[in-house]
Amino acid sequence: MAAVVGARNCIRELSDLVTYECDGLAHGRVTPGLVVLPGSTEEVAEVVRIAGAAGVPIVPRGSGTGLSGGARPVPGCVVVTLSRMRRILEVNFDDGYVRVEPGIANLEITNRIAAGGYYYAPDPSSQRVCSIGGNFAENSGGAHCLKYGFTVNHVLGARLVMDGGEIVDVGGVAPDSPGYDLLGVLVGSEGMLGIATEITLRLLRKPQTTRTFFATFPSTDEAGDAVSGIIAAGILPAAIEMMDRLAIEAAKAYLKKLDWPDVGAVLLMDADGPAAEVEHVAARAVEIAKGCGALEVRIPKSEAERQLLWEGRKAAFAAVGRISPSYLVEDGVIPRSEIARVLREISEMASAVGLRVANVFHAGDGNLHPLVLYDTQVPGELEHAQKLGADILRLCVRLGGSITGEHGVGAEKKAFMADMFGPTDLETMEMVRCALDPQGRFNPGKVLPTPRLCGEQPGPYQPHPIEKAGLAERW
Amino acid sequence: MTAPRPGRPEDAIAGVVPRAVLAPETVEEAAEAVRAAARDRARLAFVGGGTDLGLGAPPEGLDLVLRTEKLSRIVEHAPSDQIVKAEAGVTLAALQRTLSAHGQRLALDPPHPDRATLGGIVCANAFGPLRTRYGTVRDLIIGIGIVRADGVAARGGGKVVKNVAGFDLPRLMVGSMGTLALVTSVTFRLHPLPEQETTVLFPGVEPGKAASLLAETRRGQLEPSAAAALASGERLDLGVRFEGFAAGVAEQRERLLALGRAAGLAGEVLDGASAKAFWERHRAVREGAGVRVKLSARPTALEALARDALAPLRSALAGGAVVYPTLGLAFAAGEPASPEEVARAVERARVALGPAGGSVVVQEASPAVRARLDVWGPPPASIVLMRRLKERLDPDRRLAPGRFLGGM
Repeated sequence: MAAVVGARNCIRELSDLVTYECDGLAHGRVTPGLVVLPGSTEEVAEVVRIAGAAGVPIVPRGSGTGLSGGARPVPGCVVVTLSRMRRILEVNFDDGYVRVEPGIANLEITNRIAAGGYYYAPDPSSQRVCSIGGNFAENSGGAHCLKYGFTVNHVLGARLVMDGGEIVDVGGVAPDSPGYDLLGVLVGSEGMLGIATEITLRLLRKPQTTRTFFATFPSTDEAGDAVSGIIAAGILPAAIEMMDRLAIEAAKAYLKKLDWPDVGAVLLMDADGPAAEVEHVAARAVEIAKGCGALEVRIPKSEAERQLLWEGRKAAFAAVGRISPSYLVEDGVIPRSEIARVLREISEMASAVGLRVANVFHAGDGNLHPLVLYDTQVPGELEHAQKLGADILRLCVRLGGSITGEHGVGAEKKAFMADMFGPTDLETMEMVRCALDPQGRFNPGKVLPTPRLCGEQPGPYQPHPIEKAGLAERW
Repeated sequence: MTAPRPGRPEDAIAGVVPRAVLAPETVEEAAEAVRAAARDRARLAFVGGGTDLGLGAPPEGLDLVLRTEKLSRIVEHAPSDQIVKAEAGVTLAALQRTLSAHGQRLALDPPHPDRATLGGIVCANAFGPLRTRYGTVRDLIIGIGIVRADGVAARGGGKVVKNVAGFDLPRLMVGSMGTLALVTSVTFRLHPLPEQETTVLFPGVEPGKAASLLAETRRGQLEPSAAAALASGERLDLGVRFEGFAAGVAEQRERLLALGRAAGLAGEVLDGASAKAFWERHRAVREGAGVRVKLSARPTALEALARDALAPLRSALAGGAVVYPTLGLAFAAGEPASPEEVARAVERARVALGPAGGSVVVQEASPAVRARLDVWGPPPASIVLMRRLKERLDPDRRLAPGRFLGGM
């Protein structure tokens, strides 16, 4: 491997490997056997061929900001980190696309092309650091995906290194390339089907106008009603975010310049598009919020004021660190109409075990992010918090929702897959995995709760060869 | 259990008449039929409203066609969550009737809404002018129910608009033409019905001028819900539609007219009847029988597309053409006199568009035309991955064998 990527891009020392033991999900660390940082598609392909010949599992990695352990190593694996591959290869405003390497940070794309008045729409909270390759693997969303969709709606094409080291181009700038929608399957496959080494993304023209409003409410009940009312009025906001009392408290403790009142809930909404349309929509939304019992509605008078409101929202995750020694970030989805009821239920579940939960989330699409606060110094509290998180996810599934809206299943949530899907559903997903990576070389042990050998009929568990060889424990 | 009937000429798929046809009453019955076919090693194809039976190459043989027309229940419509789950045989028009009562719609407008079924629309990746703003099936589908070639029922996705749990089976089925599995139900995200709509027509525009007007429209941050151009001699009749709240629609209409004036193009605001007539003309081309060809190119290649690909095709087909200029897509349809000339024009169009990544697919054709060309054209390099998926999901090659790209 060192001969392929260069000795300095090949990490073998234990002290250096520690950095790669986990991603944004800090618990459940595993030391990889080796980390390589290839500089080109050809180098990635060669690394995959060498690892394949040696029977070594491959774990792809972007910036390592994932929250589901999707980039967590397996024992003895080679971690392929794409962070050296971060060039913009081509920009074309007329056809509306940009072709990039996977290691580039999400926001860097928009920043570097902003002068042209175009942007890349998906905006995960970690967009300053998270890589496009990671976004591709996780089908990342963000606050504005309510109107604009997820990564999968914005990837036009990709170059991938597949399990045998073969390089394949999928999709392209001309639409409707004949055949199956391979990109639809590859985006969001959590690094288990191939490694994207070049990605072509759709660029959008910036909207003419953006109007933001911020509204405070006595409780999440009224705020939830307002969200339902806005949607029922035929309005499709670009984003509509909610924070509850504890999240507001945390944001204020973290960002001293926030002058938000102490209330039960706030809503932050963006409407964007052609000017007259947006003015109408914003005015109507304010009316609806007031009708639903909003205490105060603010329309920012300047871009700086608007940015501050969003800063308060985006800082919420970090802010919760100020009011609790530790916290778990959950990511569940419920039908939007159930928001108020579910938040009450979560609060009752938390009280019952003596824990606090802060809620800051994408209300427009029902994507909850309950932050379960705990203290590792208190014996048993982590376990309580984990159990509460699990109960919240099961509640989401029971209401017809999902165990993940944007963070991915990864290593952390595969146990919940069986709550959401039946055995034949999972088996069909395995068939897809077996079609494109029959040896299970890429990112083994993620997403699927009980992976089987490809070719094997469903039946009793059999150990994987890697496991038999003592290279891994059962995942 | 419903009994199969013998296949008739009108059941033919790309010219191949199945031995038998069955219309199961329920999803369970459909699954049972697929299981039985697996036991018997029978070759199967699936038909919804039968609006796109010409798609693809002739299958190598068909023992049974399963028609989904009786799987016509709307399973769940949650207006406040803006989602709907329906069985595959529900027609688009029937679905839209139910949704419009709640001020909502599925933002898809492919041809033949009265006959096209949801399962068929998914499997054919069918679309209409609304794609300009709302994208295609892949942008709206959130869940799917399928029966695999081995007769096992499974589902993917869910019923919430945001969900990344597991591999994306719904999108895998989009455009798969029933060659990977039978689609039995589909779940979509919905959009509000617009309060108002208006169409502006720029008649007789040179393709180059149409392209620059649309580029200006984009630069000017207008957001049309649909843009379609009908071929009229060497020129295009360009229709641009805006939808939304009244104030926004009016403002965008006026700004577009101003952009047109600046480019020396006189736009006409179409009233209800004339707007309907324009979109009817568009529909007639999209629903054209005889020979129908779909072309894809980069959006900015509009001039080259019109000159080097569409012009020879239109002359060979002696028919009409629709261009979706912001999407890089076009359709030509007609009843040609000479199959040889059609084959030559398709080849010319492929030479013109292929090198830049475009494609030319013959969607409907007579046996005489089919005999002279490959309806799919050269497959992309990624066909190696498609074959791997096909081999895993349909290992015995029983689902419409030979109909899909590359003889799959």
